[in-house]
Amino acid sequence: MARIRFEGVGKRYPNGFVALEGLDLDIRDREFLVLLGPSGCGKSTTLNMIAGLEEVSEGSLFFDDALMNPVPPHRRDVAMVFQSYALYPHKSVYENIAFGLRMRNHPASEIDRRVRDAARKLEIEPLLERRPNQLSGGQRQRVALGRAMVRQPAVFLMDEPLSNLDAALRISMRAEIKQLHHTMATTFVYVTHDQAEALTLADRIVVMKDGVVQQTGTPDEIYEQPRNTFVASFLGNPPINYLDGTLEVEGREVSFRRGGLRLALPPHVAQRVASQSGRAVTLGLRAEDVDEHGTPRVDETVHGRVTSVLPVGSDQFLGVEVEGRPQFFRVGKEMRHREGDNVALVVNVNRLHLFDRESGRSLVW
Amino acid sequence: MTPRGARIGRSLLLLAASLLFLGYVLAPVAWLVSSSFQSESEITSKPPHWIPHQPTLKNFEAIFGAGERDVTYETRRKADPSSGGFIPSTAKNLLPSMWNSFIVAISVVVLNLLVSVPAAYAMAKIRFIGRQTSIYAMLVTRVIPDIALVVPFFLFIRKLGLLDHVGSLIVTYLAITVPFSVFILVSYFESLPDELDKAARVDGCSRLQALLRVFLPLALPSLVAMILFAFLTSWNEFLLALMFTQTPASQTMPIVVASFTSDFTISFSFINAAGVLAVVPPVILAIVFERYIVSGLTAGAVKG
Amino acid sequence: MGGAWRQHVSDYDQKSAMLFLAPMLAVLSVVAVFPVVYSFWISLFDLRLTRPRSVPFVWFDNYAHVFADPLFWTSVARTATFTVMAVSAIMVIATLMALLLNEEFRGRRILSAVLLVPWAIPYVADGLMWKWIYDSGYGALNGLLYQLDFIDKYMVWLGDTRKTLPLIANAFVWKEVPLATILLLVTMKSIPADLYGAAKVDGANVWQRFLHVTLPALRPGFMLVMIYETMMAIRHFDLFFILTEGGPANASHVLAWDVYVETFRKLSFGTGAALAYLIALITFLLAFSIIRTMGKKL
Repeated sequence: MARIRFEGVGKRYPNGFVALEGLDLDIRDREFLVLLGPSGCGKSTTLNMIAGLEEVSEGSLFFDDALMNPVPPHRRDVAMVFQSYALYPHKSVYENIAFGLRMRNHPASEIDRRVRDAARKLEIEPLLERRPNQLSGGQRQRVALGRAMVRQPAVFLMDEPLSNLDAALRISMRAEIKQLHHTMATTFVYVTHDQAEALTLADRIVVMKDGVVQQTGTPDEIYEQPRNTFVASFLGNPPINYLDGTLEVEGREVSFRRGGLRLALPPHVAQRVASQSGRAVTLGLRAEDVDEHGTPRVDETVHGRVTSVLPVGSDQFLGVEVEGRPQFFRVGKEMRHREGDNVALVVNVNRLHLFDRESGRSLVW
Repeated sequence: MTPRGARIGRSLLLLAASLLFLGYVLAPVAWLVSSSFQSESEITSKPPHWIPHQPTLKNFEAIFGAGERDVTYETRRKADPSSGGFIPSTAKNLLPSMWNSFIVAISVVVLNLLVSVPAAYAMAKIRFIGRQTSIYAMLVTRVIPDIALVVPFFLFIRKLGLLDHVGSLIVTYLAITVPFSVFILVSYFESLPDELDKAARVDGCSRLQALLRVFLPLALPSLVAMILFAFLTSWNEFLLALMFTQTPASQTMPIVVASFTSDFTISFSFINAAGVLAVVPPVILAIVFERYIVSGLTAGAVKG
Repeated sequence: MGGAWRQHVSDYDQKSAMLFLAPMLAVLSVVAVFPVVYSFWISLFDLRLTRPRSVPFVWFDNYAHVFADPLFWTSVARTATFTVMAVSAIMVIATLMALLLNEEFRGRRILSAVLLVPWAIPYVADGLMWKWIYDSGYGALNGLLYQLDFIDKYMVWLGDTRKTLPLIANAFVWKEVPLATILLLVTMKSIPADLYGAAKVDGANVWQRFLHVTLPALRPGFMLVMIYETMMAIRHFDLFFILTEGGPANASHVLAWDVYVETFRKLSFGTGAALAYLIALITFLLAFSIIRTMGKKL
């Protein structure tokens, strides 16, 4: 029920620190938007601005064409789940969940119905009379979700809600949150630094760094078509491998060269950089885009010396030194490797990424 | 030394230290209480009777009954042989003065709550312009000694004609208790998680509602500590009360008790009884709320 | 970036904060601005309530008068002596008590409850109580020493000018120790247990742990308490009124008493104000150092 629009929004503190700059973002109604980035990138600031907890220093924030800048948080139709849950310690679970409704003067019967409904959906009904300090982390998290759910708000905000949970719980909660988004059919804005979480949950991701948006797009777009080295390296586990080198143009063939390594670039890349022989570039190669099988063509293979072997259940990670740089690749378990072995890996050249060496900007997307 | 020997040694050391502690703290008070139950003749024995051989309630009767008797020089001598007859004419003022002290203390506490609580919340949780200055201002005013208030307040109150009025004490005490009250509360509020405040506001609380419905219940220990400090300061304060009160209409308890001590003809047992009465209310309060004093002064960790 | 940036706090928050702060600011201006300004103003006049109609403006004559008065300087000396005696005793006793209360043992709760008794009682009662104990005719001090055969006849205590200040200091210390103990105890309790664990593993015994873990960690709290008690001692009045009224022969005539005498006995408000202002100035300068440290912590 809400479309959120940032127009030229920025946030600056009296000591000169700029937390956010030039934010233009159009969040569609009912979309699940994830703000992704390292700590200090401005994602929480952006979220807090939607809630009204942080003042907009510059620019305008709109909910459905209504200017929200001067509106304090208690007059916005927004619900929020905090990283530390922020449950009211002196109230019971029931009262915690009911609080927002009470503050907005809903009738008591209505409150009771909604609270019990939410408690049932979250499977916390037996906990309603307990205090937060009697609950486990996972239970507290559900109460926090319940508190936000019952409000049936126009916008549902979540600030790293899963980061305090253990790994197994985190995965199952992701699914629940996704499910919640479907049932509630409302706009979700979610902040995280965990790229796997972003890729799982988001309809669209906004990648941020140092207060500036790096790229906005669907998970697929962000992953497959990163606009700069930061975005490319932030998504993907293990992180993308980089090799610095130069472009070599021979007629209509363009290749990447570093020392003894030469990789032929596919046509859709070649046509963009056709006339730039000698240009300094950075090659991006994802860990999973190599293979140990397939017909090795000389200009589609990387050679290197194995420096480490890490089995990870279904595959193995190989640490390989290629032309003097350490790289990490993910290969199948069939072949056994030892440190010091020489290995040749076939590269899927259609999935190569190419960036300008200095600016880190993608030369392809 | 064997482990068991070390443990016994430690226990003995602690016991000895505890006894010394208790002795230092309680012995003078115990003697005060004991003296108050002794008659004049007994109290003047050499060496003193540490425990009264013939305990008597006559001293307390003299205080509580003082209003009914007409005290003149003649009646004083004749009245009560066992107490030596030296009961001051001002004795009847003691109970009314305690009532004055009580009124003043309660008013100061209530006003402190009204003034200090919102200010502390704002300074702790709202990042407003001028916040740092306010904090410095609050700290600086804690430093001003009561002596500096004497002359200006006296002249001003005199000009207003409020010199013998309980109200002037209330306002003055408010001025000297607020800085410390705010300090206690701010420290404690700051220790409460910011996210609670945010959650409350997103849940629909205005700033005032967030303060009343979320923060106050959680800040109870510091509130109790603050109330206790404000009450005791008002109850015990002497210098300013001395300046601003002139008749029993407004005199507080410390003034009346002090007037006894400066009269050399008064019976010792009577003074001690007055002392005990003066001591009882604050001590009861302190012991009952002892738990809150320490926890209210230290920022407690509240997990939400 | 030019003036396009707004303030970083919302109007709503700023207004709320100002509203919440208003009563406190009103009170603070009464306690801080008003007395400081007004008493300085008064101190520039020769105001005596004995001749209220003639109030000549005398510039800084009152101050000169104060500085020229030998009684002022002896008062300063006596106040200093009193303060040093009292604060040293307080720090030693409070540290010992805090160490005791820091240990875990049965009955500790009783001790901490009892500890508050001296703190709770008013100074008038404290004074009255000790006056009775020090009484030269029938006092407990005389009685105790006599019973234990330390003296063979009752002595004069408060009336003996050599003993006056220490005795008053004792009454003061007795009442101030509880608060000092609690403040030190709170500091002690905030020392992480891990530090002691690490020290034990390093082979430190009880004394060494005290020396190398407790004492250094205690230092800021120690400083705070010491400065606070110093301020309290310098400006203390109540006991001097109850016990000795500045006597005998000015033996306990300290600065606070001087202000009282000047203002309410001699009724010379001009000099009284000057004196009070000087004392306030001294205390303020002394305390400015804590403000710096505490202000940073907030």
